[in-house]
Amino acid sequence: MSYLIDNNEGARYLLMGNESIVRGALEAGVKVAAGYPGTPSSEIIESLSKVGKEMDIYVEWSVNEKVAMEVAAAGSFAGLRSLCAMKQNGVNVASDFLLHLAGSGTRAGMVIVPCDDPGALSSVNEGESRYFARLVEIPLLEPGDFQEAKDMAKWAFELSEELRQIVMLRSVTRMSHASGNVVFGKLPVSDVHAEFKCDGFVLDPMEGIMTSAPVDYRHTQQQEKLNKAREIFEDCPFNTYDGPDSPELLIITSSACTLYSREAISILGLKDRVGLLKLGTTWPLPPKLLKKYLSMTDRIMIVEEVLPFLEENVKILAAEMAPEIGVKTFYGKNDGKIPMVGELNPDIVVNAIAQTLGIDYKAMPDEYANKAQGVAMAGTPSRELTFCPGCPHRASFWSIHNALELDGRKGFVCGDIGCYTLAILPCGFSSLKTTHSMGSGTGIASGFGKLGGFGFDQPILSVCGDSTFFHTGISALVNAVHHSSNFTMVILDNSGTAMTGFQPHPGLKVNALGDEVPSIDIEEVCRALGARVEVRDPFDLEETRKTINQLIEDKQGVNVLILRQICALSPEKKGKKKYEMTIDEEICLGENCGCNRVCTRIFRCPGLVWDKEKEVTRIDEVICTGCGVCADICPAGAIKKSSVLKEVA
Amino acid sequence: MRIFGPNELLEDVVKKDLCIGCGACIYLCPYFRSYMGKTAMLFPCTLTEGRCWAYCPKTEVDLDDLSKRFFDRPYDGDPLGFHGSVKISRAGSKFGTGSFQAGGTVSALMSFALNKGYIDAAVLTDRDGILPVPRLVTDPDDVLRCSCSKYTASPTLSALNQAIKEGYNHIGVVATPCQGLAIAKMRSNPTRIDDFTDPVGLVVGLFCTWALDFRAFDAFISERIDVDKITKVNIPPPPAEIMEIYTTDGKQEIPLDEIRKLVPDTCSYCIDMTSEFSDISVGVLEGRPDMNTIIVRTKRGQDIVDEAEKEGFLVLDDIPEENLEHLMWAANNKKKRALIKAEEDGLINTNQEDKRSYLRLNPEALKNIVA
Ligand SMILES: Cc1cc2nc3c(=O)[nH]c(=O)nc-3n(C[C@H](O)[C@H](O)[C@H](O)COP(=O)(O)OP(=O)(O)OC[C@H]3O[C@@H](n4cnc5c(N)ncnc54)[C@H](O)[C@@H]3O)c2cc1C
Ligand code: SF4
Ligand code: SF4
Ligand code: SF4
Ligand code: SF4
Repeated sequence: MSYLIDNNEGARYLLMGNESIVRGALEAGVKVAAGYPGTPSSEIIESLSKVGKEMDIYVEWSVNEKVAMEVAAAGSFAGLRSLCAMKQNGVNVASDFLLHLAGSGTRAGMVIVPCDDPGALSSVNEGESRYFARLVEIPLLEPGDFQEAKDMAKWAFELSEELRQIVMLRSVTRMSHASGNVVFGKLPVSDVHAEFKCDGFVLDPMEGIMTSAPVDYRHTQQQEKLNKAREIFEDCPFNTYDGPDSPELLIITSSACTLYSREAISILGLKDRVGLLKLGTTWPLPPKLLKKYLSMTDRIMIVEEVLPFLEENVKILAAEMAPEIGVKTFYGKNDGKIPMVGELNPDIVVNAIAQTLGIDYKAMPDEYANKAQGVAMAGTPSRELTFCPGCPHRASFWSIHNALELDGRKGFVCGDIGCYTLAILPCGFSSLKTTHSMGSGTGIASGFGKLGGFGFDQPILSVCGDSTFFHTGISALVNAVHHSSNFTMVILDNSGTAMTGFQPHPGLKVNALGDEVPSIDIEEVCRALGARVEVRDPFDLEETRKTINQLIEDKQGVNVLILRQICALSPEKKGKKKYEMTIDEEICLGENCGCNRVCTRIFRCPGLVWDKEKEVTRIDEVICTGCGVCADICPAGAIKKSSVLKEVA
Repeated sequence: MRIFGPNELLEDVVKKDLCIGCGACIYLCPYFRSYMGKTAMLFPCTLTEGRCWAYCPKTEVDLDDLSKRFFDRPYDGDPLGFHGSVKISRAGSKFGTGSFQAGGTVSALMSFALNKGYIDAAVLTDRDGILPVPRLVTDPDDVLRCSCSKYTASPTLSALNQAIKEGYNHIGVVATPCQGLAIAKMRSNPTRIDDFTDPVGLVVGLFCTWALDFRAFDAFISERIDVDKITKVNIPPPPAEIMEIYTTDGKQEIPLDEIRKLVPDTCSYCIDMTSEFSDISVGVLEGRPDMNTIIVRTKRGQDIVDEAEKEGFLVLDDIPEENLEHLMWAANNKKKRALIKAEEDGLINTNQEDKRSYLRLNPEALKNIVA
């Protein structure tokens, strides 16, 4: 049994933020959960999928975030509490539906959990989900610690039910992935019956039709819901103040920045001079509450990550209240005290406070900083981002790169989001020349492929993972085929959503709950769409390269090349070597003309190590996965592979 | 002479569009490859001295050095290069018949050399459609499959590099003049490899005025002719001024003026019409489509020719005076044009330290030619 469903009230566990949210949802009796994998959000649906069977919850990994939200909405419409989870940019994908859902309202409690990634630790953007709450006019909650993450998650369902409106519970990487102590509440005894009532009066929120029209009526209702939320937030226990009655400086913050701010105040020993207003309900802001605290002082600092969302909203209120509370001085993003880019940490907040109050304090003295830097440089091996040993992407991009170089017409690759985004770096031979959102490489390629009439004659490739194919790649492919665009889409099929931890997707025979489900054959789909389809094993370098050259010479239509090879880290492959690799040191050319270390200088599988003293290459047997690919890139035949014999029982 | 590396090869040759795609730099290492007539560098190489630069016929060549190395005398600018006898020839009855470009002298010689063990493998040029395909041949009967000229530049020497890797050490090569020059550079061991032994047993050079750029020719011809039906391409000697294309549906003629537009610029810098660094050179003979012109340059070339004649593989005859005169006139013209052009571009005998020449030759020879 998972500890997440321990029903001892008062039990205490060390939980990751994402698990706290899950526990809160379980305590709220969530029945439907859907999401699309994306760091730092993935553990939410993953944890729910593990307890789904026992707790009688329907859990799915949907094809994309929009569909996930739609699936969850159906639960709410049918009277089941539901949740959908995604990373920050997933909200963009779901936002069209979100706008309309906010208009129609919900029935049983429905919560959307976006996990933002300030500092883009595992993203290619620093997108903000908070603005969506304001944009589509729904309430926004932000937990400030791990206990709150659980409690707030539970409360979010109740709030949603009270308002009949979807509620956004926003987390960030440092909240989702860090851990803290959480005291459990009770799990409800569930006994629900799902039914979608739609035969009542059309405008009836519980029995009418679910739609955002008539717009003036529904939109008015939506704003009434927001007003109600504002009132509820006035007395919400998740908004807390800590500090003197008349502080010299009032810090207003939320989310993980609460922890940084608290630490900063304590480091500087300013408990008696600086007040901390921690908001759990950040949209809409409760005006009375803010008035009370803004009146305490004239100097206000807003501590938040990335964009000045809180800062703007507080400033608007302060401007409106100015006749009563007086003119305030604000510190934060706009005056440059708090950076608009990247994550915050206690040091940044310490420096901001010290500067504002004219305290001579450096979070990290220069001397120490220099020393630390020196030690870090000398002591740690330089590690660049790279594909894992035995990764099929390295082999795929090797062939793609070589095919384009041989072709010599300045061909390029449009990519999107997945492990293969790394191919913008030398580990993928710098092949990717565009990367944006999920599936966008193929959409961009579809556009490039129509520019022939303007003299465009460079070969175009797009790459897309198998999971990404279903997410949004497929619609780009439909577009391309229909408009007779001309390019080659390479589907890097490693049989799973590898980047985020092998979540199942429609190409696989299993779903999030472990049930057997029909799989969708990418090859057949592409063929049915009218593309010319080839399937190759990327570990067969020469065959793959030849095929790519043939496909990019084809001046008509859309070609699809499926490069199929399971991810090196996949549970099926892990620990099982296909080949035992050795290097014949007598033959190895090393840095001499004839090789110049193509294996460790260019190909750079981490399983290959350059022995500086002996001037030969070595295999790192611990990390080599025995894929055998490097044997085919060695010009001298120094890298030998021998089949690992199957054990005879 | 100082040796440079791949970066200078890119700079001096590839980026200046001087690469003829001869294949001398292909398969020496993992970096240079040929595809559809174009030479590509797949990844950067950081070496400052490399065989790629040293073997390339379009990087700096010191003609005096090479001439001394192979013919024991400085380069004198003779229109036909250093040579012994100049005759006319065709394949003898012992070799049999087949489809040859002209008299079949080249195929007969290669087949004979393989048969007699003068060479252990032959590097020839086959074709796939109109794409020239380098071929390593060890069975004398396979020589015929590669007969006839492919008028596009071919990376033939990539097969020589592979043959060397595979351990052949008496390799025969049929080479155009630029390929022959690369072979000569390679045989002089410019990078001073310790255990170097000359792996080449025979070079039969072809006459050449120019070769076509494959990609340009392919695009041009594909629009007019079904490439798969082509059986032979011929350029009859002047004054015909046409290219004849034989297909399974008959013969088509294309004016040479149109074809010449597909010649890469690099050919106009080439001073060699008769493959001056070969053992034996072979070309066509004006007015006699069934015969070849043959120039013998080395002792081992002479021995093979003599023996082939004796054994009925080759039939030789004297060359008519006017043919010889015209050949010399044409060969000298090519030299003159190319040298004037290269000199205008500042590529001859440059004396600044850091500037590499295209050609080095003694000023006297230069004056003789250009005069
Ligand atoms: C690009 C090119 C241009 C030429 N220009 C002239 C010219 O201007 N004047 C002239 O007198 N002769 C020229 N020749 C030579 C001529 O066409 C005949 O090849 C020569 O006369 C030999 O005839 P053969 O009957 O003995 O050849 P065959 O017995 O038919 O044998 C031909 C040989 O040429 C080789 N070969 C074919 N194509 C190529 C290629 N692209 N690169 C390297 N080797 C190749 C084959 O391996 C084969 O062994 C040219 C040849 C080529 C390839
Ligand atoms: S590619 Fe082969 S020859 Fe070159 S360094 Fe690696 S093992 Fe040695
Ligand atoms: S076999 Fe070679 S390429 Fe494959 S994991 Fe081992 S070292 Fe890397
Ligand atoms: S060696 Fe031949 S193929 Fe290579 S760069 Fe020089 S001319 Fe081109
Ligand atoms: S220097 Fe040697 S290894 Fe480097 S590109 Fe040239 S031939 Fe290849």
